[in-house]
Amino acid sequence: MSESDSPDDIGTSPDSLDLSPREPSARQRRQRRPWLAMIVLLLVVAAGGVVLTKFLTSAIDYYCNVDEIGAKEGCEAGRRLRIQGIVDVGSVTDNATATEFSMSFGGVSLPVVYEGEPGGIFKECIPVVVHGILRDGVFNGDRIEVKHSNEYEAENPDRIVGETDKGSECSQ
Amino acid sequence: MSNDRVTSTPFTKGLGFFVLLGIALLIILGIFVSPADVNQGESVRIMYAHVPGAWLAYLAFVMTAVSSAAYLWKRTRSLTWDRIAGASAEVGVLFMGISLVTGSLWGRLTWGTYWTWDARLTTTAFLFVTYIGYLAVRGLGGTHQQRARRSAVLALLAVLEIPLVHFSVELWNTLHQEASVAGRGTDVEMNGLMLFTLFLGVVVFTLMYVWLVLHRQRSLMLEDMLDDSGLDHALSERRAEATQAGR
Amino acid sequence: MDDLGFIVASYVVTFVSVALYARGVLHRSRKAARDVPRDKRPWL
Repeated sequence: MSESDSPDDIGTSPDSLDLSPREPSARQRRQRRPWLAMIVLLLVVAAGGVVLTKFLTSAIDYYCNVDEIGAKEGCEAGRRLRIQGIVDVGSVTDNATATEFSMSFGGVSLPVVYEGEPGGIFKECIPVVVHGILRDGVFNGDRIEVKHSNEYEAENPDRIVGETDKGSECSQ
Repeated sequence: MSNDRVTSTPFTKGLGFFVLLGIALLIILGIFVSPADVNQGESVRIMYAHVPGAWLAYLAFVMTAVSSAAYLWKRTRSLTWDRIAGASAEVGVLFMGISLVTGSLWGRLTWGTYWTWDARLTTTAFLFVTYIGYLAVRGLGGTHQQRARRSAVLALLAVLEIPLVHFSVELWNTLHQEASVAGRGTDVEMNGLMLFTLFLGVVVFTLMYVWLVLHRQRSLMLEDMLDDSGLDHALSERRAEATQAGR
Repeated sequence: MDDLGFIVASYVVTFVSVALYARGVLHRSRKAARDVPRDKRPWL
């Protein structure tokens, strides 16, 4: 196409320029929807803000280990804490209102009183995170999360659960 | 023209067959054949959907970044790279969503809670939201080239979050367990059949990823061509009007 | 068993959401393909 007879030069003379809105053709009707994208983008920014706030208002470390109480920054006794430890063998006792047990980590043991029945896969010899406050050497928990390890071992139906483990140290 | 063969080829059809076969096999192995875990019991079966979902989401986002770099580099610049980036990010968001939901169900069974703001869960949520934002940016409009350049820059920034997510379990104390297979230690502490099932899960998710990205990339191309043809159509209409008006 | 519901739900969520997404992609391409000539599709 040569330059001279190209119809591309629309708009050079004011008479030929028609600025009135046109009926969209069938093909043009398939338009992008930028307003939808903008709404999504606003929601995303808001959600990102919420996530960041949640992150910044809670400690970057999810918990303190039992032996870190009073020793590590952010793990001072007297404030609300999340403590991680391994439930001691034979220490779990249930009474009507509370579950009592002790958990240890790094050679330090901590007695825990939890109001209620722990959920998840709570049992002896498993690492747990307890949320609560330390009072007079006893950790008063109001939330327990079971922190299972990244070790996966097939359940052996022949093993007599409880018999061999009882009284011994946790094998894992 | 046969309508049901719009984006498929003999290759994607064969691939689709293996995807269906793999899904069936994964369900059989994951739910029925593989053993229950000594601590977690039956709930360990959720891992075979949760972990491959997360890994393939990472891979999808890395693929988005690589394709975006290929678009930005002048020698390889092509809108095909941009469309692969977009398709891959969409599939990545889908897989990440799957991983979040299945992880939440798994967490309820083992931890005793659906959600908690530990470092792994928080960084994952942030990654998920970032890529939804990336997809929204792709939809903002403008020319295909504007879309491609804008989203490519964003993709190269967003991919930097992935190492933070993956290593969050080692950098900080988290409720989430550390990585079992791609962790710092070299020994994999996992029963053989469990490991095989997990491996099968990764294979199945990889095949699903390839199938989905191929189809989505082609459908994005069709949509781009449709936009272009709409533009051509509008231009030729205006030319016709202008020629008439000039006479 | 309580766990079973959660396990089945996680597999259902996984494969149903992938299937729905795949269906959506095929649907969108079919719609777009009506106006794009067959000879312009490089993969065919």
